[in-house]
Amino acid sequence: MTEPLLSVRDLKKHYPIRKGVFNRQVGAARAVDGISFDIAPGETLGLVGESGCGKSTAASSVIRLEEPTAGEVVFNGNGREGAARTPDGTHPNDVTRFDDDELKAFRRGAQMIFQDPSSSFDPRMSVGNAVGELLKVHGMSDRHRRRAIVEDLLERVGLSANDFDRYPHEFSGGQKQRIALARALVLNPDLIIADEPVSALDVSIQAEILSLIDDLQEEFGLSLLFISHDMSVIRQICDRVAVMYLGEIVEIGPVEGIFSDPQHPYTEALLSSIPTPDPRASVGGIELKGTVPSPTNPPSGCRFHTRCHKVIQPEGVDVDQDDWRGLLNFRDSVVAGEIDVEQVRENVAAGETAPAESEVRAELRREFDIGETVDDPDLERTLSEAIGLLLQDDDERAGEILSNAITTPCAQTEPARTVHGPDHESACLRHEGRASAEPNPADD
Amino acid sequence: MSSDQPLLEVEDLTTTFSTDDGTLTAVDGVDFSVDTGETVCIVGESGSGKTVATESITKIIKTPPGHVEGSVRYEGRDLLSLPEPKLREIRGNEIAHIFQNPQEAMNHCYTVGWQIAEALQIHQDVSDEAARAKAVDLLDRVGIANASSRFDDYPHEFSGGQKQRVMIAMALVGDPDLLIADEPTTALDVTVQAQILKLLDELQDEFDMGILFVTHDLGVVAQIADRIVVMYAGKVMERGGVLDIFDNPAHPYTQQLLECLPEFGGTGGGIPGTLPDPHDPPDGCRFAPRCEYAEEACRTGGQPEEIEVAPGQRVSCVHYGPGGSPSVVRSEEFGPANGDETGPTGGESGVGPADD
Repeated sequence: MTEPLLSVRDLKKHYPIRKGVFNRQVGAARAVDGISFDIAPGETLGLVGESGCGKSTAASSVIRLEEPTAGEVVFNGNGREGAARTPDGTHPNDVTRFDDDELKAFRRGAQMIFQDPSSSFDPRMSVGNAVGELLKVHGMSDRHRRRAIVEDLLERVGLSANDFDRYPHEFSGGQKQRIALARALVLNPDLIIADEPVSALDVSIQAEILSLIDDLQEEFGLSLLFISHDMSVIRQICDRVAVMYLGEIVEIGPVEGIFSDPQHPYTEALLSSIPTPDPRASVGGIELKGTVPSPTNPPSGCRFHTRCHKVIQPEGVDVDQDDWRGLLNFRDSVVAGEIDVEQVRENVAAGETAPAESEVRAELRREFDIGETVDDPDLERTLSEAIGLLLQDDDERAGEILSNAITTPCAQTEPARTVHGPDHESACLRHEGRASAEPNPADD
Repeated sequence: MSSDQPLLEVEDLTTTFSTDDGTLTAVDGVDFSVDTGETVCIVGESGSGKTVATESITKIIKTPPGHVEGSVRYEGRDLLSLPEPKLREIRGNEIAHIFQNPQEAMNHCYTVGWQIAEALQIHQDVSDEAARAKAVDLLDRVGIANASSRFDDYPHEFSGGQKQRVMIAMALVGDPDLLIADEPTTALDVTVQAQILKLLDELQDEFDMGILFVTHDLGVVAQIADRIVVMYAGKVMERGGVLDIFDNPAHPYTQQLLECLPEFGGTGGGIPGTLPDPHDPPDGCRFAPRCEYAEEACRTGGQPEEIEVAPGQRVSCVHYGPGGSPSVVRSEEFGPANGDETGPTGGESGVGPADD
């Protein structure tokens, strides 16, 4: 394998949470928690996930807009090709160790495009100067030459040279994003990091910008790290995709592999929630309940297990998968003290008479999508015992017996990456036992 | 609704704004209707007048500078001629709105429960306790877990999807017959979007509401719409049942809109050109300047009359009118690409993303 342009290893970015008079650190939001990926020259890697999963933080840490907490980002572009690791294990091209001069040079090789083109331009600076400013910063003092370069670029991104002296407010959103592209290209970088570059745009404009990015990528031989929450956009433009969940990459692989044969349940769920433009397609598929948990206290084991529809059942248990999910949700709600029995009673009553206990029991089961009986006699007994305790307002004891009886390996073991095909890896316990991935496949 | 008149009937709706550069016509003589229990989607690019059209129905656009003409009949009453106090009784009560950005549609200084209760007490004479109970009930209905304890939380304590649920709860206070949803899921993640669409669908069944849904996302449209109205530059280009529009889009604009999608063989590129200047729309068909099939006849007169091309499907295009030949526009078979004959994207667009 040829040398990757960008190689990210175990990158972490934690935001400290401080409290009290002495500003002591009491915790950390683990926005990015150990991600690794490579980008080959000329390749487009997509980074996809729900909001709050750390995609944008990952991007700004890679380009060192924010200082990463730990990890290594090796950038082999911009004339730094072919460097070897030093004997002490560090890499001379490690962006996280660059000093100021190296960092400035690195910025020539890697550029970023942001989501909102309106807020990434100075309203008082003509777009030509905004684009040309980068050249000035990097030492091109000849004004006429700067102008010539920028005018040429404006034309290449589909605007006209006359637009040089116009101001950002005179352009539409799509045009502004074209200017942002010109600005990213003006230093002739090897890598562009695009953070949701089309999310703020209309569909028809989206398509235009995407095809422009595609054309320019070919023309300039760019590598692209493309961040989006929109799977259909990712599919259109990327060669490979990394799916992120709560600061971790849960699956990475070639676009076709991810879309036709998703291995991680989260990828499956993400794909199935895309509305297909086919009125006959059955609605729904896998519904992910709730939102991404807080990164300050991520779930143990596999971070997705709190929402996963394929949670593994422990040895000796074999109940309906929906019931199992319901049981887990029920357990979590009881332990968190979120179940308000009074309110359930009220809902069931819908009037004067106090509801029968059996109705309340049935309502609780319905609320958590648990069937009338659970296939496993032991679990069934525990469940009805717990509901009984709940009805007597003994939440604590109910939580205790549920936590003891309902356990899943997913909450205990952190899944390792397993290989599914060439370049296609996922981190899910269900695949454990298959060939596990080398921890750092392309490390040398 | 015993009579056969639709729940909402909009005729010749024209909304103009006085600006420094002259009069801007955002919506120009638009007709559509919504029946009880059905979902009508208005689609089009940004700037095509979708939002202004829906906001003109209950006149929540500012007048002046706005000016609304035409007729909007809701259950037989003409809303546009109603005096403001009467209109206020309907707005937010019988006809409810939800907006794209729930963040901006709520007051940050009050708890969400207070805001729902306020909406309730404006329209109904209920005690504080009863309003609270109803608000908790509504929050529970829209799927806010542990509703009674979330009642006293502030908007910033909710996630984007939860805020949109709260907005929906607020819209439901008056058991509305018509819900106007303006891009309610555009600001949300796909997973959350799926949750909200499902919720709206359930609530529609439960309350037997008509829903007027504004969006530019054709995937969402395919999922929820019964009928579609395609708008461009303030005019209706085409209307029809969801299957008709997706299987046999008649208007070149609808075709190109669909062709932007990878599932329809879209290879990117979008629709060349931009929307015309709303101060000075072009003669003839509004889409003519960007239309590849435009002829001389397309560039003269006004927007062509709507012609029925299939039962319930009507299109405003010269080529379907007298003397025109539809085959000019409908030259090829249309539909989602089926695997092998996809374009240069590498053939991966044949498999529907949600096939499982």
